[in-house]
Amino acid sequence: MDSQEESVWTKHFTLKEQFHIIGRLNHYLLKYPWHLVISVVLGIASSITYIEMMTVIQNLLDHHLSQGQTATKILLNFTLSYLTFVIIRVITQYISAFVYYNGMERAKQDLRKTLYHKIMKLGMTFFDRVPSGSIVSRLVNDTESLDDFWYLFYAIISGIVSIITSLITLWLKNSTLTIYLMCFIPIILIIARIYFYVSTKNYRQMRQRLSEINVKISESVEGINIIQQFRQEKRIAKEFNKTNNDYYQARKNVIKMNALLLAPIINLLNGLANALILSYFGIISFQNTIEVGYVFLFVNLASNFFNPFVNIMDVLSTFQDGIVSGSRIFRIMDSNIKNPVQHPKTGFKITRGKVEFRHVTFAYNDNDPVLKDISFVVEPGQSLALVGHTGSGKSSIINVLMRFYEFGSGQVLIDDQDIRDYPIEEIRKNIGLVLQDSFIFYGDIKFNIRMFNDKISDSQVKEAAEIVHADQFIEQLPQKYNEKVIEGGKQFSTGEKQLLAFARTIVTNPKILVLDEATANIDTQTEEQIQNSLAAMKNGRTTIAIAHRLSTIVDANQILVLDNGQIIEAGNHKSLIKKDGYYARMFKLQHSNT
Amino acid sequence: MNIFSKLSWFIKAEWKRYLIGISDLLFLAILHMFPPLIIGMVVDELNKHTLTWKLLISQVFLIIILAFIDYGMRFIWRYALFGGAAKLEQVLRRRLFQHYLKMDEKFFQKYRVGDLMAHATNDINAVQQVVGSGVLSLVDAIVTGLTTIIAMIVVVNPKLTLLTLIPMPFLALTAFLLGEWMHRAYDHYQASFSRLDDKTQESMSGIKVIKALGQEEQDYQDFANLTQKSYRSARKIFFIDPLFDLSSQLFIGLTYVLTIFIGGGMVASGSLSVGKLVSYFSYILNLTWPMFAIGQIFNIMERGDASYDRINFLMHEKSSIIESLHDNQVIPSGNLNYHVQNFKYPDDKKLALKNIDFDLKKGEMLGIVGPVGSGKSSIIKLLLRTFDNYDGTISYSGRNIKEYSLDSYLRAIGYVPQDNFLFTNTVAENIKFARFEAPLSEVKKAAKLADIDQDIEAFPNGYQTKVGQRGVSLSGGQQQRIAIARALITNPDILILDDALSAVDALTEKNILNNLKKEREGKTTIILAQRLSSVMRANEIIVLKDGQINERGTHESLLKQKGWYYDTWNKQESDRMGGLTDG
Repeated sequence: MDSQEESVWTKHFTLKEQFHIIGRLNHYLLKYPWHLVISVVLGIASSITYIEMMTVIQNLLDHHLSQGQTATKILLNFTLSYLTFVIIRVITQYISAFVYYNGMERAKQDLRKTLYHKIMKLGMTFFDRVPSGSIVSRLVNDTESLDDFWYLFYAIISGIVSIITSLITLWLKNSTLTIYLMCFIPIILIIARIYFYVSTKNYRQMRQRLSEINVKISESVEGINIIQQFRQEKRIAKEFNKTNNDYYQARKNVIKMNALLLAPIINLLNGLANALILSYFGIISFQNTIEVGYVFLFVNLASNFFNPFVNIMDVLSTFQDGIVSGSRIFRIMDSNIKNPVQHPKTGFKITRGKVEFRHVTFAYNDNDPVLKDISFVVEPGQSLALVGHTGSGKSSIINVLMRFYEFGSGQVLIDDQDIRDYPIEEIRKNIGLVLQDSFIFYGDIKFNIRMFNDKISDSQVKEAAEIVHADQFIEQLPQKYNEKVIEGGKQFSTGEKQLLAFARTIVTNPKILVLDEATANIDTQTEEQIQNSLAAMKNGRTTIAIAHRLSTIVDANQILVLDNGQIIEAGNHKSLIKKDGYYARMFKLQHSNT
Repeated sequence: MNIFSKLSWFIKAEWKRYLIGISDLLFLAILHMFPPLIIGMVVDELNKHTLTWKLLISQVFLIIILAFIDYGMRFIWRYALFGGAAKLEQVLRRRLFQHYLKMDEKFFQKYRVGDLMAHATNDINAVQQVVGSGVLSLVDAIVTGLTTIIAMIVVVNPKLTLLTLIPMPFLALTAFLLGEWMHRAYDHYQASFSRLDDKTQESMSGIKVIKALGQEEQDYQDFANLTQKSYRSARKIFFIDPLFDLSSQLFIGLTYVLTIFIGGGMVASGSLSVGKLVSYFSYILNLTWPMFAIGQIFNIMERGDASYDRINFLMHEKSSIIESLHDNQVIPSGNLNYHVQNFKYPDDKKLALKNIDFDLKKGEMLGIVGPVGSGKSSIIKLLLRTFDNYDGTISYSGRNIKEYSLDSYLRAIGYVPQDNFLFTNTVAENIKFARFEAPLSEVKKAAKLADIDQDIEAFPNGYQTKVGQRGVSLSGGQQQRIAIARALITNPDILILDDALSAVDALTEKNILNNLKKEREGKTTIILAQRLSSVMRANEIIVLKDGQINERGTHESLLKQKGWYYDTWNKQESDRMGGLTDG
């Protein structure tokens, strides 16, 4: 995935692609049209108010103060109207910004939710292909960076409003001077274009270096005993210093760039514009009288014209990041790896728990079958053990039965009905899966057993814990069933986590139990406890297990020995030993080990 | 101001930078007094119709010159001050990282990864702001603020200045309060954001569980609720953020209002010229930023000070492992004699080890077994010099291990820890971790010994495949075998496998043990294990219980003792089908 990510960073987007991505992103923003309308309208109102404020002073200067005597009453009028405009100005500006930010944040959360929903509906193949880390990155970080992207639009919109209102006012007052002032626009645009190019590059470099630094620190701390034991402190420190220095350089470049091309250069242009305004009025004054308020108005509106450029350019570098994030988000949004489809017929219920495979073939990729012509029947309440080496197809049988993947030809039947005829909820409710690595969620003990199923009562939770003997350790916790569980359930031992996962599976009282037995060696005591729990769970249920424990295998009603996607032997332990085939050979080999 | 004195070492070391930056700001402050003055003067001349070509040209020329000087000076102070901040960030981060590398296990138990990361990012960020925007704000507030006010008084009018600047202190106060408020809102948002991140991570790695329970929709609802929470805390930020703009516009606006009334009155009564009033309006604008800066300085200093104290506290933590300074730096080789009477973990009352004695001749193999928590790993921790606070002596090659330098002693040992941590790097780089210059052929050789070569060749990019947290996901067994290869690359005199075969199947275990026996002729091996088949071929096996040696002997003699070893062996033996169905 790393290489994939890099390729997106370095990829050059054509103008058409960029427009397409912007369009799709802004589609989410446009779901809040009133936020946008209110924001823009108030933005315009605020800009106009500012011009009114300046005009008040200009009028005061031109029509009263420069004429000599001014009555206090007139002054008071001007003062009050200026005050009114100030209040209107700050309120409109505030609401405009607040409303836009709100719409932007909502749009971000909407996009996040849509993407999450989409991902939850994708088939297992998606999760096999894309590492979970990068899915998380799309859902959390890429969507988060859209804040900056959408803020850029706000800066552009409010900037343009301010620039245009200033220009229109100036034009109405003096079109010639306004035309002169407009000569600065192409210069600014050229600067902005250069800044866009270098800032995109420099900021990206800086951010990448910073994330490298963070990865290095966190990994060095996590792997500190390795570093220290192998005496690699010097090398690791050297590597870190290099990254740290690279970051320093990158940051210096950004500082230099901003000092050269951002606020200072716009200030320089503003200064030159002031010189232009003064010369213009000065020259005119040699022939005509000049109203001095005009000078004030032009000087102030000129800075109102230049300032927005600083704001816009300041956030320009987020544009490319937004495009990259958008393209990554939509790549997931557009993936169409579907879950297997059910054709549920009404009234179909799983009551007994009989499982049958009829000539089932299955492949993760079309051309590479992992199950070939698999047939077996497990009667209700009976058990089936799957044995065979890695890649023999054990897990695939489970994956097919769980409807994680669509199989090819053949038929899978539950209670003598095609598995596709049941609604998926019926299958989920009645087939309980226990995975090799028990997964524990953040929350509390109760949540970890019941999960999101509110129909399960507290007493059912307790009952389930008792069945799998998890109650013993739970009762010893200070908060018992309400004990908080931290991420990954780090406070619990492997064995305890396994018992919790068992309880979670058993709480819905499934008819069929699917087990992927854990291989990791836990100490013998815990092992025994887990064996007992397993036995209790299997009691009265159809069980299909990928078996690592001899007890599971020996006690199974039926054993399937798989190799290369095919059943090579079937029977129970006794008959298979008698048969003296592959299974018997493996069994003997194991026990000659000593 | 406290924080500035704490950071004086840096400012002293970078005195040139700060001298340039601060004098530059001083100069700029004075420079900025002129353009409003010039404009006001021209306005007056225009008003009185006394403007001459000579005056106009000279003044316009002056404005242009000032604009260019201003540009150059602005560049210089930015580069000097912000560059200083970047420099401090670099220096502090380097020191902190090097400090982390020197710390002992106790330190890393006390501080979690997240804390240490936060110190290296957030705290350093807060401190570097002090010598960047902090210095800038301070100079700006004092110098620019004062010069502007002086200009107002001297050039325009003292009375006007006194009366109209009343709203300005409020701007400073508001800036300070908003800064505090924003900081808290931001922390709050960060917390909701990390909760969202954790939730997403959890659901994506637990997707199979969620799908098996058919709870995709409910899990989505849970996520949607969290985004709603995140939205609500974000709204606080959006509420505050535009308030910064609002307050500056409002207080400047009020100053203008006062100026219109009072200044206007003065012009009307003839005690002030129109041009001066125009200049005055510009000066007010020049005051915006210094007033804001006054408010900000307090925020920056307060946060910087707290962060710097946290960093310093961390930097003053000391490792309890003291390195011997008299050592010839030769990697030792020989017999190992382990005699520890007792050992307690720091801050723990219980004895972790009691009367552990064994002698391991060069070339022999020792097995250490026992229930979880019986002290197996503690034995190794002392051997690896993770802790030095025990009674007894451990000597290697006839010399107390504390007398060696860590560099020479630890290099004699290849260690495979329980948690088989791999770095985000290529497989090859992970294996040659302890011998980075090793050629690929050596890497492959180590991988073959650890029975992982074939697996690696099957990875998408072979030995160049990225593994670790950000790389392809490996099974526990694969991780363990790569960790074994990593320990083998230096061909160490002592190899320690700390429960390092737990996730590999019986057949692979057998292969690895056979390889080790063949290739490590004459070298010492210590194996800690849950599975007794891992240690059965050892020259001696010690069985621990509650930190003491409970049984000891060879595999055969231990079986005869009919104790814990015998019981456990039988239990495990009856369950050995694992080899047929590897994980």
